[in-house]
Amino acid sequence: MEKEVPTANKIKTDLHEILDIRHLTDSTFVMRIEKKDLEFEAGQHVCVGPPNGIHTREYSIYSAEQDDSLEILVKEVENGLVSPSLKKLQKGGYVVVEEPVGYFTINKNLPADQEYVFIASGTGISPFHSFVLSKPGLNYTLLHGVREGEEAYDAETYEEDRYVLCTSRDNKGKFNGRVTEYLKKNPFGKEAHYYLCGNCNMIHDVYDILEEQGVSTDNIHAEVYF
Amino acid sequence: MKYHLVTLGCQMNQSDSERVKRVLDGMGAQWTDNEEEANIIGILACSVRQKAIDKVYSKIANWNKRKASQNLITFISGCILPADKEKFLKLFDIVFAMRELPQFPQMLSQYGITTPAGLERDNLNPKEEMSFFWQVKPKYNSSFEAFIPIQNGCDKFCSFCAVPYTRGREVSRPSSEIIDEVKSLVEKGYKSITLLGQNVNSYGLDKKGDEITFAELLEEIGKIGENSENVFWVYFTSPHPRDMGREVVEVIAKYDCLAKQIHLPIQSGDDKVLIKMNRKHSVKKYRETVTAIRELIPQATLFTDIIVGFSGETDAQFQNTRKALKEFQYNMAYVAMYSKRPGAASYSWPDDVDLKIKKERLALLSDDLAEVSGTYNANMVEKVFPVLVRDTDRKKGYLSGQTEGKITVRFASEDHALIGQIVNVKITSASNFSIEGELVEVKELVG
Repeated sequence: MEKEVPTANKIKTDLHEILDIRHLTDSTFVMRIEKKDLEFEAGQHVCVGPPNGIHTREYSIYSAEQDDSLEILVKEVENGLVSPSLKKLQKGGYVVVEEPVGYFTINKNLPADQEYVFIASGTGISPFHSFVLSKPGLNYTLLHGVREGEEAYDAETYEEDRYVLCTSRDNKGKFNGRVTEYLKKNPFGKEAHYYLCGNCNMIHDVYDILEEQGVSTDNIHAEVYF
Repeated sequence: MKYHLVTLGCQMNQSDSERVKRVLDGMGAQWTDNEEEANIIGILACSVRQKAIDKVYSKIANWNKRKASQNLITFISGCILPADKEKFLKLFDIVFAMRELPQFPQMLSQYGITTPAGLERDNLNPKEEMSFFWQVKPKYNSSFEAFIPIQNGCDKFCSFCAVPYTRGREVSRPSSEIIDEVKSLVEKGYKSITLLGQNVNSYGLDKKGDEITFAELLEEIGKIGENSENVFWVYFTSPHPRDMGREVVEVIAKYDCLAKQIHLPIQSGDDKVLIKMNRKHSVKKYRETVTAIRELIPQATLFTDIIVGFSGETDAQFQNTRKALKEFQYNMAYVAMYSKRPGAASYSWPDDVDLKIKKERLALLSDDLAEVSGTYNANMVEKVFPVLVRDTDRKKGYLSGQTEGKITVRFASEDHALIGQIVNVKITSASNFSIEGELVEVKELVG
């Protein structure tokens, strides 16, 4: 029997089946979604919403460009427009997915051995997860700022010596403190390209530190999470 | 059957209204200026400011009262946030997205169906629908100024703006249609043509190589000007600094018909505020574009948009905006005090700059702008400029027009036949925001 597909309230916006939901913490989960014919560049985002809701919100794509399905990393935000509804959905259900867009991507004109420093807070790690899976051999260091060690989402994805978990509320990270403190103590130099994603305050603080370290604004790329 | 349409907001809505009128005319309805005598009455909404949305609620409340004594069908389209749309479904008879305009006659004939979702029709995606929308011929409001939509939607997701949620993703109109419309307008003698889009210079990017770029589109339009004896000026709005490359500036410099006026919204002169606004460009990147404009088109006028008092904006950050305004020597800046828009990403952030401070910042920028633009205007005195006469002026016995650079000029004349013509005006006096001149007879247009 053919599966019944709900009607999207957003007329003619495409519905994609939820293939799997993988819970990482009580509030954070990876939603794997039917990809259909969507193509994207690592670092781009999609607008996702529940099939019968009126809102969508941007989510950076978590999965690799070459994967057959699409993954997003979702943290339930209290009183959020979309994430509480997404959390209630189950495998076999549907979500509205709009086509991928965004500019937080790796500059193709940079040399293959270019050094990258990825700096994320919380679920801001999502585009970096996609970078690393999509582009094997990338010369990167990933600084991931979280409160507690349990928020080291899929840490095994990254080579151990390239991943620095910075925990501010417990000592389960490689570094006990904020990413900003780590960066002050461990400068990466002016030649690296810095990609910042997550909380705006973190991004502003890192921006100041990088400016003090003499990094050109041309080498700083930011994606603010809301 | 008579109809009336209330259009709120930007030039894109103005342009869309021309197509709505064409569709209603095509159904045999007649336009009336008097909304009291209309049987079909609609509104093209704008969600950029709360004031415009408040006006929608006020209008529909009055119209629904009229329904007790009059046969009236109401509709709404334009930029509508999802949350407002839900409420409008209960208040208006018909609610539709502008891209669904081609189905509007069907909706009216099946009055009672509140949204196009209830209509039996092919399941089109938004991009396909836009292609049908653009094929609707507009009923131009003016005989000498026209707007041509070239692109719809926004992929930029500036955190203060709700447009990505009201108009959807960027879709480019086929270049062949745009070029045909420009040719047709030029042949009809139109003097001012504005290419419209939420991000005009992202034109073609959504087609991933299957469409020409914005610079190439301008080049094609430039060639139309080269091969025409008619004098006309082509403008575009709004571009996003991120996609404003040197190649666009080079094309504008190359062709006379591409107006030497550029509207380049900066929003803030502080990099950290720009990051928080999710603008995807730095002041440095913006400066590179302005440098190219000054180098290649030194006579160009430069307009911008600025938001003061954005969430968390410090005084030091605001001072950077003042520096930017002085550095880039704008001729005009549309300065707005930040206000939270439901649906925009910044809605959840504190609106923490006090209203009094916002007003002070707005006043300071206005003063700075007056100084900068006043210097430019003073340099116009004693020079002759081609001016497109647009209307009568508030000053009795005067006509008002704009130079190619969109500087407003008035001159003494009661010859209304000049409206819609490009004439030569010698500037006789200039203040910060007001320029006066006198009509001069010159055999050939100067400029």
